[in-house]
Amino acid sequence: MTAPWWLSSYPKSGNTWFRMLLATLEAGGGPIDINDPPDRDGIASARGLFESMTLLDTSLLTADEIDDLRPAVYRAWAAFEGDGHERARPRFVKVHDAYLATSRGEPLLGGAAAAAGAIVIVRDPRAVAPSLAHHLRLSVDEAISMMNDRDAALSSGLRGQTRQLRQRLLDWSGHVASWLGQGDIPVHLVRYEDLSTQPVAAFGAALAFAGVSVSDEVLARAVDYSSFSRLQAQEREKGFLEWQHSGRAGLFFRRGTCDGWKGELSDGQIRRIEMAHGPMMARLGYRKMEEGNG
Amino acid sequence: MHSYRICGLSVTSDIELPGVSPVGPSPPDVEILEGGVPDTLERAVASGPNWTMAVDAFLLRIPGRADFLLGHGRTIRYRAGTGMASGDIAAFVMGNALGILLHQRGLVVLHASAVAVAGRAGLFLGPAGAGKSTLAAALCQRGYPLVTDDFCVAALDGKGAPVIHPDGRGTKLWSQAIAHLGLDGGIGPAVRGRINKFHVDPGIRSDGGGLTAGPVYVLREQRPSFQPGILRPNVVDAALLLEGAAFRPRVAARMGHQDRYFSLAAALGNHGGVFLLTRPMDFDRLAEGIDWLETHWAGLPGLAGAA
Repeated sequence: MTAPWWLSSYPKSGNTWFRMLLATLEAGGGPIDINDPPDRDGIASARGLFESMTLLDTSLLTADEIDDLRPAVYRAWAAFEGDGHERARPRFVKVHDAYLATSRGEPLLGGAAAAAGAIVIVRDPRAVAPSLAHHLRLSVDEAISMMNDRDAALSSGLRGQTRQLRQRLLDWSGHVASWLGQGDIPVHLVRYEDLSTQPVAAFGAALAFAGVSVSDEVLARAVDYSSFSRLQAQEREKGFLEWQHSGRAGLFFRRGTCDGWKGELSDGQIRRIEMAHGPMMARLGYRKMEEGNG
Repeated sequence: MHSYRICGLSVTSDIELPGVSPVGPSPPDVEILEGGVPDTLERAVASGPNWTMAVDAFLLRIPGRADFLLGHGRTIRYRAGTGMASGDIAAFVMGNALGILLHQRGLVVLHASAVAVAGRAGLFLGPAGAGKSTLAAALCQRGYPLVTDDFCVAALDGKGAPVIHPDGRGTKLWSQAIAHLGLDGGIGPAVRGRINKFHVDPGIRSDGGGLTAGPVYVLREQRPSFQPGILRPNVVDAALLLEGAAFRPRVAARMGHQDRYFSLAAALGNHGGVFLLTRPMDFDRLAEGIDWLETHWAGLPGLAGAA
């Protein structure tokens, strides 16, 4: 069995959408149930994975102590064939953690011994901000502050047991830089906007990077079945469990647009993001407002 | 030395175990002692990223914090890392090492909380985060004495009836649960400093002896595809659910204990019954879930008059 591929992204950048596409392909290209995708447990920071591999109660460990053990967990998981007590680990594993080292100097995610490579999904930070605000029940200004904060993290667990382990994010630029700049594993960059406007090409290239070859026809069908409007329609009809765990109202598949942020952010908010993340935005092809956004 | 009675065993320890009721000394079945922990184990039959299992020894390591050598189901030896207080070691012993030692003794160890209902032990099985301790604490508030909080040993007596022994402990709850249940008055020390989980006096504890098992509930979170409420799965599904509800199922499997879980599942099914309890996880609906349980108990033979 080959080692898994990380599907890495800052939150709200299209990771779930990409996984739905993968699930659609794995289901033979037909429609899938958003509440029962084949890769249900495929997130690197799943608490249950860590506990079953280490035999440790994570409620007795601090986040830093857990991080110190995570590299060994991922290395062991990559070699693990499964013993009937859990499904063999999926091929593509979602990660929101920034690519960082533990206090002991090891790559948190186990380096080259733990994964074959990473598909890094990025999205215009000006689109991420309102989506992040909605998802975490923050104001847009608070979301921008989080995206500008190098100490930002998900599932910090300050209020009790969380389903996932703490995931340190860095700030938005730092998160992307950490993945593109690490030298342990090969990466393939995918932009949310390309998934939206040229889905077959963008998905096809990412899959080819991971050694998955699929005909354009099958790909086009899968793209259609996991189109945003279809996912949103399913959610309206039946709910989306991953989102409902949080008890939050509103839709997870909220807008799915590329330039909707223009109507959601004030000029001041746009400037805040562009000032903090200009260089990385330029590197990824996201033009500033004054330049005329493409 | 400190003496305790945990899951039907006499335990002595050279460190205090917070949250466990001390008892008078007696010849120990299990000893917890500092020292004598090697860095590696030879003749390993299984291993993980931080543990090694040999035939009669198990090495469990929390790098930089503590290492444990479990021997023959009789001794837990520990080595404390720099800066580790005895309270940290005690937390790791109770939460990690002891459960694995019980597997070494050949016992069936379930990840379960339990309360006494009409003289029987009602069990609640589920993984970490399933709400076992919170549910048990809420049941204590309604007058059902606590039997176990985190893991329990189930054994068959001479007549093949399943018996559950109290773990001698109180509950351990996150601060959020403590606030919701209004248990601030019974709050004890933090399970481990810096982490918002605390020992909480449950108010009433089942005293001493083993109880025949009553109904067993496998906890499941409500989902669009699962009906909320109490269902009785068929015999095969019940056996699989029980095996999956073992404390550290991988250890039980590596030790070749699956048959014991199937036998126990059959006994539990015949005595109190094995059920699936599907419920929403909101604190606000905890009381509703308990109402369902009491209604269920009122209708179960052998528990009449429990609610």
